[in-house]
Amino acid sequence: MKKLNELLLKNYTFPLLTGLLCAAIFAGSHMFVVHGFGFFNEIAQAEMIRQGMETGDYAAAVSFAAGFLIARVLEGPLVGILDIGGSLMTGVGTGMVGFCLSMGWDAPVKSFVLALIAGFGIGLVIGGVIIAVKKSMPESMAASGTNIMMGAGNAVGRYLGPLIILSAAQYSIPAGIGALIGSAIFFKMKKEIVGGAILGALILAVIFPVSV
Amino acid sequence: MLLVIIKSIIIGALGGAAVAAGAARMYRAPEIQAMGAFRTLGELNACKGDAIAHFSFGLGFFFNAAGAIVGSGALTQDVLHRIIPNWSAGALLVKNRNVEETLYSPGRMAVAGAAVGAVTVTLLNSIASVIPMSLSTIAQGILGPASALMIDTVMPIIFILAALDAGRRTGTWGIALSGLAYVIMGNATPGAVLGIIIGQTIEEKGYSKSVKIMITVVAILFILIGYFRGFGEKLLAFI
Repeated sequence: MKKLNELLLKNYTFPLLTGLLCAAIFAGSHMFVVHGFGFFNEIAQAEMIRQGMETGDYAAAVSFAAGFLIARVLEGPLVGILDIGGSLMTGVGTGMVGFCLSMGWDAPVKSFVLALIAGFGIGLVIGGVIIAVKKSMPESMAASGTNIMMGAGNAVGRYLGPLIILSAAQYSIPAGIGALIGSAIFFKMKKEIVGGAILGALILAVIFPVSV
Repeated sequence: MLLVIIKSIIIGALGGAAVAAGAARMYRAPEIQAMGAFRTLGELNACKGDAIAHFSFGLGFFFNAAGAIVGSGALTQDVLHRIIPNWSAGALLVKNRNVEETLYSPGRMAVAGAAVGAVTVTLLNSIASVIPMSLSTIAQGILGPASALMIDTVMPIIFILAALDAGRRTGTWGIALSGLAYVIMGNATPGAVLGIIIGQTIEEKGYSKSVKIMITVVAILFILIGYFRGFGEKLLAFI
């Protein structure tokens, strides 16, 4: 395990990881196109591909995704964390897939094995570009400001519990009370209140549904 | 049906292993390039070390994903962003509460991620129909606004405040870039992050060559995103 850990922290294994993830995401889009489900993205992006399949026009999907892909690939090495939502799920899973379909290259999307291979290849290239950009950046540049960013990143997590309590209270009175009770119990048990808030809100909201 | 299950297991195992290892690498960023998202890191930290918190956090989004896949065929981004990283961490933490040997270990996370991913994706793809629609709508109704508030408002505010607290130069860069990022990209956080990096580098090293390169890259980045998102046309509409 120690060796595997060291291996997985090397620079050159990063393109391998993006490759594997892109293979899964690209194959997910294959599932969506062939079976109608399994798309690794939000409903809006799924609708873009669905619209393209109906009209043959993938311009919306491709241009929308290209912006995300470029932005995230440049931002990734700067901040040290590649945002897989914009870069891989939207950029590759929506954009690249839409691009292939718009060019009439149906084979990589329609065949499961080819989808895995195409996704892996694209991911390998993206990961390689990111590592190349990171290496070409002068030393210590990325290190500046990291502590501030990490501090802010950690602070963000704390807000989720209270936000869910507020959001549950907005949803319905029982959900709000459930979230309060759940988070109070979790707080008393010295656990993170997020889990309690979600579970409590869900349980009471199911027992006392909102009348539509 | 069997074909769908086999495909789902392969997809889930590959993606799960990669994303979980990427999440473990996030704890060494930026020295080591990681993948995931800042919010994933924040949320993992929020539940850090507590298996039940990780499980229930993922569970909320699982219902959400189940609702989305029944309705539209989309798994939602939460499967890779939230469910797999949190459940992998939770599964490892049940046996060993030491985060250094679990959540921070890319090898163990990759193994757990492959298993969790295979199970999650297969479950969602094959038996999504057994999840009552009402439960997923409720989960979506509660978690949706909370996540939207967190991503659109709370995160940008925290990062901008962090930039302001870090000195006048960092604060100025943070405000300028986050404002631009909001109008161009639709979210202020990336701008605030870039502002902090640029501002801090200038404060430490002055206007060195590397800072100039970085500013150029950031400018190109904003122009490209603006171009692809049709910012020019939107702006011209006001004239």
